[in-house]
Amino acid sequence: MYRNIRTFIRPEIKFAGLIFENPVLLLLLEHFGIIDEVHDKTVSGICKENGISETVFLSFANLYNGFHQTSGNSYQFSDIPSIIRFLGNSHAYFRNEKYPEIYRYLKQLGETNPEAEIKLISRFFDEYFVEVTDHLDYEENIAFPYILGLTAEDGGAVANSSFSAREFLDHHTDIESKLTDLKNLLIRHVPLKHDPVNRRKLLFSLIELEFVMNIHSLIEESILVPLVIDLEKSLNRG
Amino acid sequence: MGSRQINIAIIEPSHIVYEGLANILLRSKYHFRIFRLESAEEYEFAALKNGFDVVILNPQLIQNLTKYFNQLRRLNEKTLWVALLYSFFDKELLTLFNASIRINDEPDDVAETLHRLSLQNDSLPEPVAGEHITERETDVLRLLVNGHSNKEIADKLSISIHTVISHRKNIIQKTGIRSQAGLTIYALSNKIISLDHLGE
Repeated sequence: MYRNIRTFIRPEIKFAGLIFENPVLLLLLEHFGIIDEVHDKTVSGICKENGISETVFLSFANLYNGFHQTSGNSYQFSDIPSIIRFLGNSHAYFRNEKYPEIYRYLKQLGETNPEAEIKLISRFFDEYFVEVTDHLDYEENIAFPYILGLTAEDGGAVANSSFSAREFLDHHTDIESKLTDLKNLLIRHVPLKHDPVNRRKLLFSLIELEFVMNIHSLIEESILVPLVIDLEKSLNRG
Repeated sequence: MGSRQINIAIIEPSHIVYEGLANILLRSKYHFRIFRLESAEEYEFAALKNGFDVVILNPQLIQNLTKYFNQLRRLNEKTLWVALLYSFFDKELLTLFNASIRINDEPDDVAETLHRLSLQNDSLPEPVAGEHITERETDVLRLLVNGHSNKEIADKLSISIHTVISHRKNIIQKTGIRSQAGLTIYALSNKIISLDHLGE
């Protein structure tokens, strides 16, 4: 998970080897809704079997491996629904899995450590989670339905509504910096004398969340939004 | 000072990347002088002789070596450090740099970033020296976490707002914490404030 040098992923590469190299790619599969074993399938084979655009899959997978290509990718408007599905699945992972897990570790640490700071950190995290939830709600209830509306047959009507993808970008707050704060507090500043195991688990969990969250924002900001802006333009023209 | 020569050291293990970057800078409209260093260790020796304005470094070379990097930075406080990024990178590590450029940035943007950065040098606040926050920064932090605005802090400490802001930047850089709530926990943990003082 934390290695620096990873393979640049190409269509003909077998996916199993990539998972050994960077296990977080399992999350990528999950968020694409792929639950079957990968056997000895290549990237290209997996995409075909699951009806996922190879361009989208490759660029997301490469983000997980630390490669961010800002040009040269030709996404299609028809890729949008699968991108949104992917993002929606990651939301579910944040909400239903990651946050309860972190919450649990913090609670356990609070029980074993008398220091007042750990309770404050718990509260800090709770407030942060409210912020994140607001953001996820906004995306799921407003931004995503709007974008999906654009891709529907009568998308032109939606394109002229008062909402636009630029607004989505404005709303995209920097929720990652609070995760960095948490990591710094736990690693550098707040002494916790007891329960190092839970502390380590908490940190691992935060680091994984941060990793996936960073990629999530990158996908939204550098892939989805530009694509939607192009779509809006083409609909307004038509 | 627009046409002043800017000395740039590039610490980059890849010859291809070094050549590409050096070419972009040399062909730009600014007057850059480029030095190639193979490793961070080489900088330790070179720094004494050359007085680089800017050092461009691949952050992978200093990953997990933050302490060493801070030592390098202290060799010449005026030198500005720019991260050369192949991909996205740990934000926390990047806070140690003055700026960053990306491998897929446009050539003109790279030159512009470095030029602008070197212009800043004369008006830069005191560079961050150590990891510990100073007494003055502690004063600022105490007022900050008690909910005072920059203006109020400036008035209370009889310093300019500009100075308050530069103290705040240093606090963020040294602690790695940006949010008010996070800084409050930091202040408590370091006995800068006590629980009863909160919200005073």
